[in-house]
Amino acid sequence: MEEKKVTRGQQEIREMVMAKGLCTGCGACINLCPYYRSHRGKTAVLFPCTVENGRCFAFCPKVEVDLDALSSFLFGTTYEASPLGSYRAIVTARGGEKMKGVKAQAGGTVTSLIYYALRKGFISGAVLTDREGLLPVPKYVKTPEEVLKCAQSKYSAAPTLASLNEAVEKGANNIGVVGTPCQILATGQMKMYKDSYPIGLVVGLFCTWAVDYRQFEPFVAERIEIGRISKVDIPPPPAEILQVFSDNGTTMEVPLSEIRPLVPTGCLYCIDMTSEFSDISVGVLEGRPDMNTLIIRTERGQELVAEAVKDGYLFIQEMPRENLEHLIWAAGNKKSRGLKRALEENLINVEPLSYLRLNGETLNRLIA
Amino acid sequence: MSYLIDPVAGATYLLMGNEAIVRGALEAGVNVASGYPGTPSSEIIENLSRIARERNVYVEWSSNEKVALEVAAAASFAGLRALCAMKQNGVNVASDFLLHLVYSGTRGGIILVSCDDPGALSSVNEGESRYFARQLEMPLLEPGNFQEAKDMTKWAFELSEELKQIVMLRSVTRMSHASGNVTYGELPNTKRKAEFKFKGFILDPDEGIISSAPVEWRHKEQQNKLNRAKEIFENSPFNYYEGPEKPELLIITSSACYLYSREALDVLGLKDRVGILKLGTTWPLPPKLLTKYLAKTDKVMIVEEVIPFLEENVKVLAAEKAGEVGIKKFYGKNEGFLPMVGEMNPDLVINALTSILGITYTSVPQEYDQSAKLSAFVHAPVRDQVFCPGCPHRASFFTIRKALELEGGNGFVCGDIGCYTMAVRPTGFETLKTVHSMGSGMGLASGFGKLDQFGMEQPVLAVCGDSTFYHAVIPALINAVHNKSNATLVILDNGGTAMTGFQPHPGQDFNVLGETVPAIDMARICQAIGARVEIRNPFELNDTLQTLTELMEDKRGVKVLILSQFCALSPQRRGKKNYEMRVDETLCLGEECGCGRFCTRVFRCPGLVWNKEKGKAEIDQVICVGCGVCADVCPRGAINRKEVA
Repeated sequence: MEEKKVTRGQQEIREMVMAKGLCTGCGACINLCPYYRSHRGKTAVLFPCTVENGRCFAFCPKVEVDLDALSSFLFGTTYEASPLGSYRAIVTARGGEKMKGVKAQAGGTVTSLIYYALRKGFISGAVLTDREGLLPVPKYVKTPEEVLKCAQSKYSAAPTLASLNEAVEKGANNIGVVGTPCQILATGQMKMYKDSYPIGLVVGLFCTWAVDYRQFEPFVAERIEIGRISKVDIPPPPAEILQVFSDNGTTMEVPLSEIRPLVPTGCLYCIDMTSEFSDISVGVLEGRPDMNTLIIRTERGQELVAEAVKDGYLFIQEMPRENLEHLIWAAGNKKSRGLKRALEENLINVEPLSYLRLNGETLNRLIA
Repeated sequence: MSYLIDPVAGATYLLMGNEAIVRGALEAGVNVASGYPGTPSSEIIENLSRIARERNVYVEWSSNEKVALEVAAAASFAGLRALCAMKQNGVNVASDFLLHLVYSGTRGGIILVSCDDPGALSSVNEGESRYFARQLEMPLLEPGNFQEAKDMTKWAFELSEELKQIVMLRSVTRMSHASGNVTYGELPNTKRKAEFKFKGFILDPDEGIISSAPVEWRHKEQQNKLNRAKEIFENSPFNYYEGPEKPELLIITSSACYLYSREALDVLGLKDRVGILKLGTTWPLPPKLLTKYLAKTDKVMIVEEVIPFLEENVKVLAAEKAGEVGIKKFYGKNEGFLPMVGEMNPDLVINALTSILGITYTSVPQEYDQSAKLSAFVHAPVRDQVFCPGCPHRASFFTIRKALELEGGNGFVCGDIGCYTMAVRPTGFETLKTVHSMGSGMGLASGFGKLDQFGMEQPVLAVCGDSTFYHAVIPALINAVHNKSNATLVILDNGGTAMTGFQPHPGQDFNVLGETVPAIDMARICQAIGARVEIRNPFELNDTLQTLTELMEDKRGVKVLILSQFCALSPQRRGKKNYEMRVDETLCLGEECGCGRFCTRVFRCPGLVWNKEKGKAEIDQVICVGCGVCADVCPRGAINRKEVA
């Protein structure tokens, strides 16, 4: 009997990602074709597609993610499941002297780096995330000034990569991407898909989870006028709160325990807190709302950071040991939670299709 | 001059059954004709409208069948002759008024023409209108050929006047839409003056008030009329017997089935063994006539379409007359000799006869049947029902489908009756999930929209056409708004009653006679009812999608989206192409990732064709109507539109 051919297209995305609730709406499949579209924070499949090997499947961070291949491709090593992934250095950072007066989240490290990278021609454009009300909206920017408008965290799952795909389609080159771990994983797969993929810099954000916009919006709307929101923040631990500020001075503050039920299921399978497949990753620094944690992973990342520091756009300091330990502990926690769940649901190293694939040695070590 | 009003008595024309009915009505001097379009009945009112001026007939398309019957009845009450035409399910719509009309009785001759559709060739039901005749106790006539269709129609008016009761004339698709020779009678020159007399004694049938009360007295009168009809039917020339004096088997049949029965006897050479009692007056059955022929043999087969109406009535009569005619062996639907669904045909009659009489004859040899089916399966391309090239419904459902997916993928659309009913099929992206009677899409949506208290979270939509809106959607919309239901109605306004041939409806500023009349604005009706209303052009895909998703996200009550765009075949479009379409082959992605033949595989306008050799899409210039929509459908911008001057 003829063996059933396993195709890698939309049908599999529907069955493996959508039906199992793994989709986080990262946008990696949007704008590649007419079949996928993001609407109010969720990815929808509009019509059935019969292409057997689709880019949607190749890019999706929730199906057939070969962690070893990706790790080898980007860092030259197999996947070892260390809490923070491969890195060259970890420091604390904030915007430098030249970025004074810029309103951004925490230390403003991401804003400063992208601002600088664009200014210096390190990249020719950047894929960022803007906000309309509470809805995160992907945006492709070409000037440093536009970066400032996108500063600040969003916390809702965003189809940021839709903008990347659109920019690639239009022929953009050397594109910078800022995204959450699922999005960064997708950019890694894009680079693997085609050597010449025009991504010039990948800046990852730390992410424990995001919230489902469709639930978050009515939740916030009950408490604060959506149109007047000026900032959303989750201050560094141990605050355990989410704050929403509005331009008329009212503030909403709710414990994270009330927000966690709004997290999409897809996030619960995530094993990456620090965007392990980036050039540089940036997140909060415990106990220091004015600073960021900065993980430098690649030569390209190292080069950018060094020049930004030299030119006064970035300020870095040594990472205190207790902070690093806590970061490792938190990232390790997320990884083991996500792996446990994925194993329970039989989504790792199974045939014909898995969520994740990784070498048996690492997997056995993790199970043990 | 139309051949339908040729004054020469004795002239013979090849007429469609519906035309024969029209000629019969003209020979009866019909004054008023009304109806609601519906296949296979529509040609009756259309043909009458064409000669309306010359013959001084008032003709209208009414907003629905109940109103149509009321309009016709008013003419009868005023002493005129009136005809009301509709398809089978239209009788259900008219039946409430009809129930009361048969009590009150009528004055000028009035006939209700119901054109039934056994096999549902152009319906979503194969409903039986004949049962209304029995249930509502009124006479039923069924022509068995085209000459009879004309003659019987004329006679039906006379019968109606004699009985002071409405008479139902029932045709079927194969009678209404097939053609045969019809020899004309005279066209009358009598003129009637309309006057409604009501000042006489209250129970005076000619000058009293017309009402169904006092009910028992009126009901008794009605049954007396039915008994009188029985007596008249005993001697009707439309009932006759053909066959041997002592047949082995008696076929009792009516309507088109009479022709199928004759053909079956002819094929099997059974004319000397089997007799046919052909009935033209099928309710009430004339008992003496039936008794006479039932006595001729012990074996009786009843040939009719769909449910065993005639069969049941004959069996009751045979039981009543068992003392005179003896015990019969029946061969009909209840005994399994003939099917109770679908159309009848000569082969089905042949198969029944061979089994009853033990004859060996195969209408279709088994090997032939098998090889025909096999080669159809292997060689014939799959041809689904599809919207025409440039049909606005395709664009509308393309957008509705997208909106449903964007809003979570579990929303659904309650369908209604029109070309757009085909949106249950891939041509409409399998968007409709319920289809019933006219107006029931919105009615169902009104109900679904109240189920949130039981945990229903699915977005609820309904669609209807413009003509359907005026026919039966308005009460459902009122219900939804008044009861605070949460649903979205999409009105697919293509500028006419498109499916049945562009008959005008109340939303248009002209009527069937070509007069200028007030158009009833559907948007203002919806607003007055209290719905949020938006109007868009469905060819503007993005604009329409954005509007529809906004409406679906607005949870406050009932929303109406009117999608206005002329039907591709409509007289208003006059076959004009707005755009010349071309595919740029250098840009067309074909089967590659990023497209996957989106235009020819998903959007599937028949004007787009897939060139297998080239692996590119093409425009079929012969059938493309130049609507321009596919240019916006192509993900690569490979389809260009150039405005036609």
